[in-house]
Amino acid sequence: MSNPQNPSKIFELAHPWAHNTNPIWLASTLSLKRNLDKFNFPAKLPVERRKQVISLVGRDLPKKPAFTLFKGEELSPLEKEFLAEHFLLQESIQQAHQGEAFLIDGTGETLIGLNIQDHLGLHLIEIHGEIESAWSKLAKIEGALSQNLSYAYNPAFGYLTSDATEAGTGLQVTAFLQLPALLHGGSLGEILSRLADDSIQTRSLMGDPDTFAGDLVLVSNRYALGVNEENILSSLRGFVTKLQAEEVSARKQLKSADNPHVKDQVARAFGIMVHSYQLEAVEVLTEISLLKLGLELGWLKGLSADDLNLLFFNSRRAHLLQNQEEKKLNQEEIPHKRAEFIHSKLKNIELLI
Amino acid sequence: MNEKHPSKFPERPLDCLECKKPIVVVYTEIVGGVVNEVSMCADCPELRRRLYGGGGVGDEMMVVGSSGGVACGNCGTTLGAVRMGARLGCSVCYEVFADFLMGELLSSGRLPERLKGAKKSTPIHIGRSPGEVQQEINPALRLLALNDALSETLKREDYEQAAQLRDQIRALTEETETKGEQPPKSK
Repeated sequence: MSNPQNPSKIFELAHPWAHNTNPIWLASTLSLKRNLDKFNFPAKLPVERRKQVISLVGRDLPKKPAFTLFKGEELSPLEKEFLAEHFLLQESIQQAHQGEAFLIDGTGETLIGLNIQDHLGLHLIEIHGEIESAWSKLAKIEGALSQNLSYAYNPAFGYLTSDATEAGTGLQVTAFLQLPALLHGGSLGEILSRLADDSIQTRSLMGDPDTFAGDLVLVSNRYALGVNEENILSSLRGFVTKLQAEEVSARKQLKSADNPHVKDQVARAFGIMVHSYQLEAVEVLTEISLLKLGLELGWLKGLSADDLNLLFFNSRRAHLLQNQEEKKLNQEEIPHKRAEFIHSKLKNIELLI
Repeated sequence: MNEKHPSKFPERPLDCLECKKPIVVVYTEIVGGVVNEVSMCADCPELRRRLYGGGGVGDEMMVVGSSGGVACGNCGTTLGAVRMGARLGCSVCYEVFADFLMGELLSSGRLPERLKGAKKSTPIHIGRSPGEVQQEINPALRLLALNDALSETLKREDYEQAAQLRDQIRALTEETETKGEQPPKSK
């Protein structure tokens, strides 16, 4: 474990999502919560004791993969936002400060949050739809740490977490699916209720039940207790496979029907992305999804799905700022800089309809 | 009840029939002219419910009166705070607020159906436990998922998509078979 003097290394994280060609399954995140026995959970733990947790965990880290420690108080707000974007975190880590820390491995795939709500929050992102092997990776790190640490556990509630809905396995798996054909074709609601499975919950990126920013549907396990890890992965795998099949069929149908409504939406997305003077992040996420759809249906050319998937990350605020020479921009300048950045990435795009 | 001095302990409350713990409390309740006696173990949730007015496990809705300021003796987190959605403060909270937490998980749909109204002896946590050797996930799970999706697709009569799924199933089956013959390659 190294402790860098210059925390701006955050911006140099490897990009595990850089070569993502998957047209539907954008990414998955797996998170595993653990607390140490004999310590109160972070909310009821004084700063000094929290620092002890950090050094205890640091001492017992596996050598492979090698982790780098970043202390909460040493990271700028921009760096924390960057981390949240990079790891597709659902919770905010903006407030992370003294007594809180992050461990990141060299591949940029694994983040361990220390004392963020729980003593240990192991978090992994992956882009190949390989949730089973991602779980093995996560379990290996957890196992290596447990060699010298003992986790808070009780036979009825399993592994204990500060949020009771996460206790048991402590495992939360989320698949990020981009479903433009089902969403813009209007059949998503019907399909979701047809496939409904009580062990699965679906939601949108921003939590708003009616607007799916980026055409993203987040599919995750509803239960962490009363099921085992294999149940969680297999029901998620089952649901995602079915939903993907529905999206593929819907895309094919759009293409054969030459659906004018969706065609218009793709053409508008093209116009907005190529010609706007200002662009907001949420808007961009959805336009990217429509461009990806257009690309797959042969309505656009001049770029690839992985360019667009990369743009998905790089047009979010902290990633955008990090690419600018001047890292501090006025809030009002950001939408314009974002538009400029996107124009430069979409130079060769052509609309064929 | 007519017997003033029962030769043995009175019966446990109905909710506790499965309880195997030793009886240490005889609870006597006098409502109007009726005297009611039941036996309970030391940490009977039913006892706590009757004393402090909290709800028991398995209640569809938690009916909780004044909680009498129940708090975790270790970290000071109060039941009131937990009920307001505060995070738990330590492992002991899970013992102190066990009934409340279980009730909440059930009523908010965060526990599988099989545990609704299940017997007390039914194990709740069935995931890994400390010291358990990590198991690789069975690759057959993926085949099951694909097969399920295949039958859904056939129901919709999307034969093109069904063919693609069949290809995936075939590829995965072959991969598993070759893996079975040779030691798996490390990635």
